[in-house]
Amino acid sequence: MTDLAASSALLLVIWGTLVGLDLVSVPQAMIARPVVAGAVAGWLAGDVEAGLRVGVLFELFALDVLPVGAVRYPDYGPATVAATALASDSPWQLALGLSAALGLAIAVLGGFGLQLVRRANARAIQRRSAALAAGESGAIRRLQYGSLTRDATRGAGLTALGLACAWALAQYVRPDPATGLGLTLVAVGCGLSAVIGGALRGAGRGPRLRWLGAGALVGLIVAALR
Amino acid sequence: MNGGWRAWLRLFAVQGTWNYERMLGVGMGYAAEPLLEDLKTVDPVRHTEAVVRSAEFFNCNPNLAGLALGATARAEYDAVPGAQIARLRTALCSPLGAMGDQLFWAGLVPLLVAAALIGVVLGVTWWAVVGFLVLYNLARVATGVWALRTGLDAGMGIGTAISRSWISKAIERVGPAAGFAVGAAIPLVAAWYLEDIGWPAAFGALAVAATGVAVTRWFGASLTTVRFTLLALVLLVLFRWLLP
Repeated sequence: MTDLAASSALLLVIWGTLVGLDLVSVPQAMIARPVVAGAVAGWLAGDVEAGLRVGVLFELFALDVLPVGAVRYPDYGPATVAATALASDSPWQLALGLSAALGLAIAVLGGFGLQLVRRANARAIQRRSAALAAGESGAIRRLQYGSLTRDATRGAGLTALGLACAWALAQYVRPDPATGLGLTLVAVGCGLSAVIGGALRGAGRGPRLRWLGAGALVGLIVAALR
Repeated sequence: MNGGWRAWLRLFAVQGTWNYERMLGVGMGYAAEPLLEDLKTVDPVRHTEAVVRSAEFFNCNPNLAGLALGATARAEYDAVPGAQIARLRTALCSPLGAMGDQLFWAGLVPLLVAAALIGVVLGVTWWAVVGFLVLYNLARVATGVWALRTGLDAGMGIGTAISRSWISKAIERVGPAAGFAVGAAIPLVAAWYLEDIGWPAAFGALAVAATGVAVTRWFGASLTTVRFTLLALVLLVLFRWLLP
């Protein structure tokens, strides 16, 4: 991670806020997907390659998540932004593992943050329950805008925390090349285990499993021919 | 009834006030407000009751929420008894949740994400990323417009409208396609990371992957892949520290 200019750090925090909001609240346009968040964060940090390496890795983890109902899941958007900042301007083979460790910790923290926002939303609704029971449209609007503000604050805070940790790691933690490469290999292996495990669970024993196998075969052939 | 487009726009934030008490309820109330405005002049008492109902508990996939929103708004204008509208909302939660989750979260999203990963790995980076966003949002916007219109047209007959719609067939087709795309993406992504590192190291990473699949399946929810990864990274650092 190079010393990010203040303007780049600010842009990354804004981008992290947007992807944090996109995960659940608004507009769910899929900019929170790690491959998108990472590519743009890499471009903002001046290293698209780093953004893609981090984004694709976290996408392997994100494909293991089915965001249904009240399930708690990691928030990979702001995590990808922070991890990309840490990985930028370093050889990805040596930097990806440490960046992944930071990103996964931030993603888990983001999941907890989402729980807190949801509980705060519930408390706000309880406070306005009389207005809701009276059919006041204004109360509904205020609840909605308040909740969106809370989630935006969560995204911004999470990204800022991630960037601060990335800066501290870049300053004080310098793994030797062998450890850096080892961390990267473990992170990539774990990412592959996440996507394979998720794909097998999602496929069950029906026709989707056969299609998964056929796809894997085609992918292997293309990979071998490249 | 006016306000359809404003309601559709507000549906983009239908999960804005997601919480464990009413789930999407307040977001639905926010989206329903423009649709119910005309009711205020026709029947103010009914309007107040409709606003209260619109923000009560509701949950479903956000991309199909328009079906329930349109149907209940139509029912309010058709002077259907309030208890019947509340029952309709409750009855729509599970099917709209299940269908939307299968269509989008387990189908379209993994299909397009896997296609984007393949594109990135094959070197068409920005086309892949932008293509993913454009295709997903086209599908999502078209579904949202269709859902709200269908709900507004069908009213209390929304169940029949859903059962006759294209959704079931789309779910049947998108699931296998997603399976194929994810299957194809996995070896390509693995090769993208590991081809420059050398065979011994690549085998090490694949061994970690195999161990991860086995261990996380064995332990189930108590050892998620994220926990397994953090544990493996910490163990590696410890080993490197103890055996430099």
